[in-house]
Amino acid sequence: MKTLNRRDFLRTSGAAALFAATPGLAYSQVVGGGGSFTDYRALVCVFMFGGNDSYNMLVPNTNPEYAAYATSRQNLALLQADLLPISPASSGTPDYGLHPAMGGIQSLFQNGNAAFVTNVGPLVEPTNKAQYFDRSVILPPQLFSHNDQQDQWTSLRGNVPSKTGWAGRMADLIRDGVAGQQMATNASLFGANLFQSADETVAYVMGPNGPIQYQGFSTTPGDILNEQRLAFGRVVDAQHDTIYERGFAEVQRRAIDAADTVSTAIANAPVINTAFPQSQLGAQLRTVARLIAVRDELQMQRQVFFVATGGFDSHDNQNQNQPGLLGGISEAISAFHAATAELQIADSVTTFTQSDFGRTLTSNGDGTDHAWAGNQLVVGGAVNGGDLYGSYPLLEIGGPEDVGGGRIIPSTSADQYAATLAQWFGIPNVDLDAVAPNLANFAQRDLGFMIV
Amino acid sequence: MIANRTVTLLTSVLLGVAGCGGGGGSSEPPPPPPPPPVTKVEAFQLLNQATFGATESESLSVIAMRQERWIDDQMAKPVSEQLPHMLSLPPPQFMGQLHTDRVDIWFRNSLWGEDQLRQRVAFALSEITVVSQLGALQGRPFAVADYYDMLARNAFGNYRDLIGEVTLHPAMGVYLSMLGNRAPNLALNIRPDENYARELMQLFSIGLVELNIDGTDALDGNNQPVPTYDQEIIEGFAHVFTGWTWRGSPSFGSGRVPTSSQYFPMEHWPAFHDTGEKTLLRGTVLSAGQTGEQDLNDALDNIFDHPNVGPFMAIRLIQRLTTSNPSPGYVRRVAEVFNNNGSGVRGDLGAVVKAILLDPEASPAMAMEIDGKVKEPLLRLTQLFKAYDASSASGRYPLVASYILFGQGPLQSPSVFNFFSPFFAPAGEIRDSSLVAPELEIATEYLNTQYTNYMFFQAFGLNHTNEDLDEDDIFIDFQEEMDVATDIGALIDMVADKLLGGDISDTLRTEIAGMLERIPETDAALRAAETIYFVTTSPEYAYQR
Repeated sequence: MKTLNRRDFLRTSGAAALFAATPGLAYSQVVGGGGSFTDYRALVCVFMFGGNDSYNMLVPNTNPEYAAYATSRQNLALLQADLLPISPASSGTPDYGLHPAMGGIQSLFQNGNAAFVTNVGPLVEPTNKAQYFDRSVILPPQLFSHNDQQDQWTSLRGNVPSKTGWAGRMADLIRDGVAGQQMATNASLFGANLFQSADETVAYVMGPNGPIQYQGFSTTPGDILNEQRLAFGRVVDAQHDTIYERGFAEVQRRAIDAADTVSTAIANAPVINTAFPQSQLGAQLRTVARLIAVRDELQMQRQVFFVATGGFDSHDNQNQNQPGLLGGISEAISAFHAATAELQIADSVTTFTQSDFGRTLTSNGDGTDHAWAGNQLVVGGAVNGGDLYGSYPLLEIGGPEDVGGGRIIPSTSADQYAATLAQWFGIPNVDLDAVAPNLANFAQRDLGFMIV
Repeated sequence: MIANRTVTLLTSVLLGVAGCGGGGGSSEPPPPPPPPPVTKVEAFQLLNQATFGATESESLSVIAMRQERWIDDQMAKPVSEQLPHMLSLPPPQFMGQLHTDRVDIWFRNSLWGEDQLRQRVAFALSEITVVSQLGALQGRPFAVADYYDMLARNAFGNYRDLIGEVTLHPAMGVYLSMLGNRAPNLALNIRPDENYARELMQLFSIGLVELNIDGTDALDGNNQPVPTYDQEIIEGFAHVFTGWTWRGSPSFGSGRVPTSSQYFPMEHWPAFHDTGEKTLLRGTVLSAGQTGEQDLNDALDNIFDHPNVGPFMAIRLIQRLTTSNPSPGYVRRVAEVFNNNGSGVRGDLGAVVKAILLDPEASPAMAMEIDGKVKEPLLRLTQLFKAYDASSASGRYPLVASYILFGQGPLQSPSVFNFFSPFFAPAGEIRDSSLVAPELEIATEYLNTQYTNYMFFQAFGLNHTNEDLDEDDIFIDFQEEMDVATDIGALIDMVADKLLGGDISDTLRTEIAGMLERIPETDAALRAAETIYFVTTSPEYAYQR
C-alpha cells in the first residue's frame, strides 16, 4: 500500500501550522562512566532457521570418506569435482571441500579468517551410540524437534528448564562493566529470541534496517509534538491493571527510550563502501556494520547481535534450494567481514552460526529430515582460521555415530562452542559454567578456534 | 503456567488487587438471583473474543439476545468463503496479485461477514494448523484460500473431520511436504518424509508430552514429563503418509496440474504407498498390506483417540479466544466437552467453542490481573476498521504487507510454529510467575513502533476528510466524532464507547483531553484523529478483557 508521509499528513490534515516541523533529535548527551573493559568486542550470531544441512556445507574430499558420504547421500550428494577444496592447517592438504556456492567462505578460510567447528550439537554429557540406545546418559529432550532444538542451541539448557539464553546470561554477567553503554548489550535484528533473553538485562529488538522512530513525536520544548510524546509516555507509564498491559507498556517504554538515540547515531554513521547482497540477511548484517561503526558514539564496549535467515528446513527440493541458501550465507557473511575490515575493526568482531540441527544423511526422495549434529562456521579477525575444530564423523549410514537414518551424534557439544566464544568475549573462566551449564561434563573448555 | 494461577489468584485477593474486598467465607450461599441484564462492557468482551472487533451495533444484539443465543445464532450463519471470489477474478496482472486478492477477501469476510464467530474461529485454527503464503505456497494462492475456507467450514464441525481435511488438503501437502511423499527405497537410502508426521503430532493434536485432562503435564514416577511419541512412531506415521499427490497430476508428486488441483483433496497413488507394518501411538501397530486410505484413516483415528487431544486443543483455542493463562479447571471443563459434547460425541468443535466462550472464566465477575490476553495486532486493526467503517474507493483491502506492518497477516506465518509460541513468556513478572503472554512475542520494540506509526497514519491521514487518497487506500470515517468535537468530553466518550465499550482509564482520558485542549476546536478532524490515535495505541486497547 501507499504509505502516507509526514508532508502528506500535514497537507491533508490542515494542521500544518500546528504541527510545526520536527527537527531531528540532537543526539542525547552521553552519560559518562566507563566500564571495566578497555576494548570493544562484538559477537554476531547468524541463525539459520529450519536446520542447515551442514554435511553438504562442509564435505570430506578424501577418497574413502567422500565415497562413504556419496553412498549415504545418494541423490543429494554433491559431486566431488564440484567441491571447493579447502586445506585445513592441521593437515595441510585439501582434504575437505565446501559447497560450490560458498566461494566467499572458501577465500576467508584460506586467508585464515574462517574456521569450522565440526560435528557439534546439543549434548548434556559425552554420548556414544551404545549410551544413546541404552539411555545410560542424559540426552537433551525432544531431539529432532525444531523449536526444542533451537532452544537447546540458544539456551544450552540441557534437560532442565531454562528461560534464559547464553547471550542473555553473558550480558547479565558483564552488566556492571558496561554500565555506560547507550544501548543494551544484546540487540536483535530478527525479533524476540531466547538466545538473548536474560534475568537482569533486556535485549533491544530493532528491524532489519535498524530502529524506527515514532511518527509525530518531537523533543523540542513547546512543540505540540513534544507534548504529544510526553502524553503518550504518561499513558504508557500509567499503573496498568493486568500483566498483559504492563508487559505491552514495558516494550513501548523501551522503544520510546531507545529509538531516538540509536536512530540518530546510525543516521550519522560513516558511509560503508562494502556492498552487501540484496537479501534479508544482507540487510541485517549491513545494519550491524553500521551500528558497529558508531560504537564509540553509543559508548558500546560489548555487543551481541542476533541476525537470522530461514528456509533451511529442506524436506523438499533440497538440490534446487541449497545453492541459494548456502550461497546467501556465504555472500552475506563475506560482505560483513569485508565491512568490518573496512571499518578496521575485524579483529574485534566474530561472526558465528547456529542452526536447529543437522539433517539426515538419508534422503526422503528430494530432501532431508531433522537430525542432530552438524558443522558450524566462525568468521573474524580473531578467529584461528583456516582450520577445522572437533572431529569430523564418518558419514556412513549405520556407522558408529549414526543413531538411525544418518542422524549423527555430536562429538563436540554446543556448550563447548559457546564457551569458547564467551571466553573471547571477555567472560572469565570461572563464569563460563554460568554461560554453558553443562560445560563441566566435557574435558575441553576451550576448543581453540579463537585467538586469546 | 497453569498451576501458578491459583497462587496468583490468592495473591490478588489478599492484596486486594482485584479491587473487591474480602468478606466472603460466610456459610450458605444465597440462591442465585435472576441474571442481570448484559452490560455493554460484557457485550464488548464477548464480541472481542468471538468476532473481529466489537461494535456498538453488534453489542446491542448481544444485549438483546444474551450471550448463549447470540452464539447459537452465529453458529447457524452460512460460511463466507474466499475461493469463489478468487475464481471470479480476471487473470492476475502481476506475480503475487492473487495473494493480495486473497488478503483482500480475508478482510472483507473478517470485517463484514455475517458469520463473525465462524471466521474468528477459522482464524484461530489458522494459527494452530498453520500453513503460510510465505514459502512453498507462494505460487499456490487458490490452495491457500481454499485451505482457509476449509477451516471455516469445519470451525464448528468435528475435530476428526478437520484433521482429515487438513491432512489431505494440497496446501498442507505442499507446506509440510506430504504431497509426493513415497514408500522407501532402501537401496538408495530413501525413506519417507517425516515433516508432516512430526508437526501433526507436535503442533496440531497432542503435543510433546502426556497431559492430564486439565492440561497440566502428566508426570512419571520421577516427576518427569512423559514424551508422547518417539522417533519410531514418527517414522510409523511418515510411512502412513505415503502415496498422496495433486489430484489430476500427470505424474506422482510433480508435473503441471490444473488450477483446480489446488482446491481438491490430494489423490492416492497406491504404487507409491508403503505397505509394511507401522508403529503408531500407544502401542498400536497397523498391519502390513493395508491400502493407503485404510492406513490414513486408522492413523488419524489413532491420533484422535489420544487423551491429549482434548486438553491440547482446549488450551490452544482458549489462548486464541479468551485468555493466555487458563486455570486447570477451565481447561478441564473445555476438554471434557471435547471428549463428550453431552450426546456422546467426541471432538465437537462447536460445543468446544461454546464452552470456551460461556465459561465463567471467559468473563469473570471479579477480573484478575491474569485474566484476558494481549489482543493480536491484526485484531486491533480489524476492530478499528469495523468500528469506523473502514473502506477504500475501490472497495478493496489490499493489505498484503500485513505481516511486515503488524508482524501478522492472514496465513502469513513465518513458519508452521505460528507468529508466536503458546509458551512465550517475556522476562519480568510474567516469566517470573510462570505465566505466558504469547502475543507479546511479536510486540517487540520494532513491531510496536511500526504498529503505532501505522495508527498515526491511519488516524491523521487515511481518513474520510482526506481528498487525496488513492483508490486502494483504506480510510476510516470519523464524521460522527467531528460533529461533537467542540465538546472534548463528548468526543472522548464517543471514541471510548466505540473502541473500549466505554471503559476508558482515567489516565488515558486525562491525557487525551490535555492534547485536545491544545487543538483549536475548529479543527474537528484533528481532534477526532488525535483521540483515535491515542486510544488505538494505548496498552488498554491492546488488552483483550
